[in-house]
Amino acid sequence: MPLKAILVALLTLAFVAGLGRWLAVDNTSVFSWATGSNGGPSASNPVASHPASANPSARQALTPEPPDNALGFMLASVADEYQHAVRYPDYSIPLSAAQAEAYQGNRYQPVALPLEGGGQFTVTLEKFRYVQQEDILVVASLSGNQVVNDRLDAVLESAQSRSKADRAALTPSDENGYFQGTLKARGEPGEYRLIVEATVDGQPVRHASTLTIEPDLGEFNGLGRVTTRGNDLVIPLHFEARESGAYALSAQLVHRGEPVAQLQTEKQLDTTSDTLELKAHGTVLANREIDGELGLMHIQIRRLPARPGDRTDYAFGPEEGYRFTPPDLDSLTDTPAGDPESEQRAALLRQLADKF
Amino acid sequence: MKRSNRTIAWKAAMALTAGGMVWAGSAQAQLAGHNVILVHGFQQEDLASPPADLNAVRHAGEDYWRTFWLSRSDARIDWGSDGRIEGNIAQQAYQQLRQISQQGLCNNYCIVVSHSTGDLVTRYLLENQARWLQADGLPPLRILASLDYSGAGGGTELADLALSIAYNDSWYNWPLKQAVSAFTGITPEPGRLGVVNDLQTNVARNLAVSPNNIPRLRFVAGGSSYGGITKPFISGTDDGVVPTHSACGATSSSGIDSCSGSISLSGKVANQNGPSGLYYNHYPVLMNEGVTHSGVLGSETGNTSVPVVNNTTLNGLRVDFASRTYNQRAWWQWWGAGDQYIEVPGSAQTDMSTLVYNTLNN
Repeated sequence: MPLKAILVALLTLAFVAGLGRWLAVDNTSVFSWATGSNGGPSASNPVASHPASANPSARQALTPEPPDNALGFMLASVADEYQHAVRYPDYSIPLSAAQAEAYQGNRYQPVALPLEGGGQFTVTLEKFRYVQQEDILVVASLSGNQVVNDRLDAVLESAQSRSKADRAALTPSDENGYFQGTLKARGEPGEYRLIVEATVDGQPVRHASTLTIEPDLGEFNGLGRVTTRGNDLVIPLHFEARESGAYALSAQLVHRGEPVAQLQTEKQLDTTSDTLELKAHGTVLANREIDGELGLMHIQIRRLPARPGDRTDYAFGPEEGYRFTPPDLDSLTDTPAGDPESEQRAALLRQLADKF
Repeated sequence: MKRSNRTIAWKAAMALTAGGMVWAGSAQAQLAGHNVILVHGFQQEDLASPPADLNAVRHAGEDYWRTFWLSRSDARIDWGSDGRIEGNIAQQAYQQLRQISQQGLCNNYCIVVSHSTGDLVTRYLLENQARWLQADGLPPLRILASLDYSGAGGGTELADLALSIAYNDSWYNWPLKQAVSAFTGITPEPGRLGVVNDLQTNVARNLAVSPNNIPRLRFVAGGSSYGGITKPFISGTDDGVVPTHSACGATSSSGIDSCSGSISLSGKVANQNGPSGLYYNHYPVLMNEGVTHSGVLGSETGNTSVPVVNNTTLNGLRVDFASRTYNQRAWWQWWGAGDQYIEVPGSAQTDMSTLVYNTLNN
């Protein structure tokens, strides 16, 4: 009797599996080689339909012959997007919220080290680059079922020489399991390892990550008189460099706390007080209602490597940025920048895309 | 802290000249009428056994691309993985940039093809090449676009972990140690990680990230490398080495599952954990769930490529996208149309490199 039951069960299982397999085969293959012959919203269009598709006859009249090559379509899309992007000069580009966050620079995203049993040892810093003698607030957390000592040790070690620059104890900061302590950015400029050691289940576990100590590059001395020139809003920023060299300045132009554009410029500076000009192009300002003050935030200056193999050095402007009242912006227009090299690149990409 | 590297650079240049230019391809090796420059990725052999000189670096670089792109390229930028990007790698690369500039190979715009860490190296070089070359009285390279396969410009969590493992000589998490060893090819030690240091997510995302006008076309893999042992340690989806957040050009290192919010790596049309944003001028073009990190370079067929369709509007007009869409039911879906998929027709019959090359040279 048990044998029969097993046999019936096996047969039933085989039948179900076979039926499932049969049903799993592609069952409604639709080859939408263009055309829209499928009717309704195109199955290949996962996004909202374009107004042009609302009226089929209008759509037929407007829609160009679709490409017969999917990758070709993608390249054509890139060419299209790039053509739009080159409206903006590379010294003044518009920002989405996510891009604004990314281009703030000097970001440190928490670094997690998995522990046995599904736990995690996570270290978080406020930023990636520190100026000499600046405080480094270290926050660490351990999750999981492990037994952890109530004190962690943090060491700052030179990546190159492995000499210890500083050390500190991290102690529990609250009941949420966070440990924190403060190190000092002692030592020569360069790359450093932050090693946080915990005792987990009686064994030492070290979490290592990287930060940098930056030299003192000079002094930010505020803004000059902001004016319009051509189709640009020109924002002079005074920076007294300690050493001469090629410098790149970047900042985000903000209006009422919202990012408007990423501005950047490069200039050779000497050791006397010097001025770099950030420019916001008309394409990022003309179609906006600007009232009241504008601001420059996330100001960053880099001394660029003079020769291959040299290090890039970084310095940062005041955390609160600079605010200014812009002049009359009515003269600025939403006219594409017309950078010759970008235009040429766009034309070449379009040439490639036009094959499809 | 500035180092004088002129002597080293001069020696490297001499070695390069003495060794002869090992330019990869022939004069006809163009892509859509433009010369092709190859920038390879991390070579773990360099950590175990650092290359003796630039000639050794050049030979390893040549081997790296042999599967497909070598015969279709006009120049390469090779570098030793035992170095750092703002160090030996920049010096080695610059010697080759000089040659490319002197030969005028990019006078009519070049196309860069990068793989993996080559994405990060390329980004750094694009930020600095014009200034360095002009200081030497040479014209900057004119780059049309960069095709980035499995781009590691946003770093990889494996590099984050490698650093911690290097400082944990007796630590006990065996699977993690195995994954890191598979990735690096060595038992990590603090001074031996070379370019892996630059691949830490925070290091990579703080290196040469300023936006520029050179378009980066991204080709993303999602297959399994090293028998799958590295996958559990990478955030979101990945190709066994590089996370999708990096390969797509996402603005954050938070784990994501696809370059699109509406199409998965396998082409399934459904809501996805996609990137909240992309770096400026970064354009994900194709994803392929099955192909591995190195398979994108031409060694793997049988995997379906998926177009990263964010819209179907071109020049302001909607076009019906020429892809194959189909419905597929899983075994438990007994009724209904099942899930909808999108793919590049015929892509499973070829590999990702051939697909792109043939399309552009069509």
